[in-house]
Amino acid sequence: MRIAQRRVLLIGGVIALSAASCVTVKPSQRQYLALPEMEPETGADEEEWQTHVESAREGGFGGHGAAGGGCGCG
Amino acid sequence: MRLSVGRAGSPAVFVAALAAWLCTLWAVGAITLGVAPIAQAENRITLRGNYYREQSTRVLAPELQFSVDVLDERLTVGGSYFLDVVSSASIATGTADATGGDNVFTELRHQAVGTVASKLGPWSLDAFFLYTTETDYVGRSVGAGVGRDFLQRTLNLRLNYAYNFDRVYRIFGSGGRRLAWCGGSYGPNCDRYPDGTNLLQTHYLSASYAQAVHPTVLLLGSFEYAYLQGPQDNPYRGMLIPNAEQESHPLKRHRFALWVGPRWHIRKGRVTLEPRYRFSADDWGVFAHVAELRLYWRVHAHVLLRGRYRFYTQSSSFFFDEGYMYEYDEGEFCTRDTPSGCASADPKLSAFHSHTPGLQITYELDGLARHKGLRWLERGFIEANYNYVFQTSRFGPARALGSIAFSLAF
Repeated sequence: MRIAQRRVLLIGGVIALSAASCVTVKPSQRQYLALPEMEPETGADEEEWQTHVESAREGGFGGHGAAGGGCGCG
Repeated sequence: MRLSVGRAGSPAVFVAALAAWLCTLWAVGAITLGVAPIAQAENRITLRGNYYREQSTRVLAPELQFSVDVLDERLTVGGSYFLDVVSSASIATGTADATGGDNVFTELRHQAVGTVASKLGPWSLDAFFLYTTETDYVGRSVGAGVGRDFLQRTLNLRLNYAYNFDRVYRIFGSGGRRLAWCGGSYGPNCDRYPDGTNLLQTHYLSASYAQAVHPTVLLLGSFEYAYLQGPQDNPYRGMLIPNAEQESHPLKRHRFALWVGPRWHIRKGRVTLEPRYRFSADDWGVFAHVAELRLYWRVHAHVLLRGRYRFYTQSSSFFFDEGYMYEYDEGEFCTRDTPSGCASADPKLSAFHSHTPGLQITYELDGLARHKGLRWLERGFIEANYNYVFQTSRFGPARALGSIAFSLAF
């Protein structure tokens, strides 16, 4: 095998190994992440109401996810 | 090489977080952005009653939401209907001429949203359409998002885009005659100025990140940008400005926001901490900071308490005057180069701060679902929350901000 091909395989192997080592939480360790209070989607409905009130009472922007439609709240 | 992850609170947790950030940079560089756990793997219907009360305004807002997996999680469709019932004192909002005097008037805003989402392997796709209407405002919004899981679903990256196109009107007299509101002026065709229009367009873009860096730690963050073009002033508030007949704001606005909100579950106390910080800025000169701390306490297997404290502060826009005293020139547009074209009575553009403490209780119905004949309550919940807003703007404090919700999975 040529030297260049060996180098490509070596670099690819290093990248693959480094990617595998980036997984810091194994599937068997995720029971606490599944709690409702740890799930960002929980409370999304209440977050929409808070966003609606804040847009009508504050000059700030964002922090609650994708934009929704407007209203004559100004 | 595997990382040795320590117990929650130990220095190893922070080393793990740093390693996770480095791994994130690798993943972003290697593969295009995408990811969002939008599609829910269950059918659900939720009825929510929202409430807001301050001195001159009361809002009741019932809402109905549903989502259904048409083909397991590969295709989920959803929808919602939202009714805004807003009761205000007309003089306080500048609408006395529309109501024929200082009266309490009630306005209804209807909003309907349709959503579709799909999860195909590590990819998530979703789209929505929103329609909202009230007597002097029609809003439409369409958007889409794409997301992708990385690192065995411990990392989610996501991009969202939305386009809003709203029409703004002004109501005259008790007869309800409606004319187009063009931004500082009104008329049947918005022909007072070149390219005049009552169309308010918004382009919105966001990139968000979520990563499990430890069995009990979740990192979350987002960056958002919005560009608005069109009338962004209030058609009625000019009555509150001594030297101007109409309120007049710039017709364009660039807005930015950076948000972080990690979550840390502490196993011993069954407590979850969620600190949040958001910085937003725009080219009108409004800089805002939000610092918030949420504490969740699972007091019982099916009872969750949440306490929150939110601090908000903002600066005023470049053209806002606290006394509403403007050397207003009706012939100029409101820009940084021509501030004489500006006049505003919008408390949202003043410098102010607020404190919001709040409590929430959630009762998960899984405990009741174990009884005969009540299995249909499984994964359902009842939720109630109450907040009080101490704010120094002219709106005054909000004595109540909260909601009650009942949700069932089916």
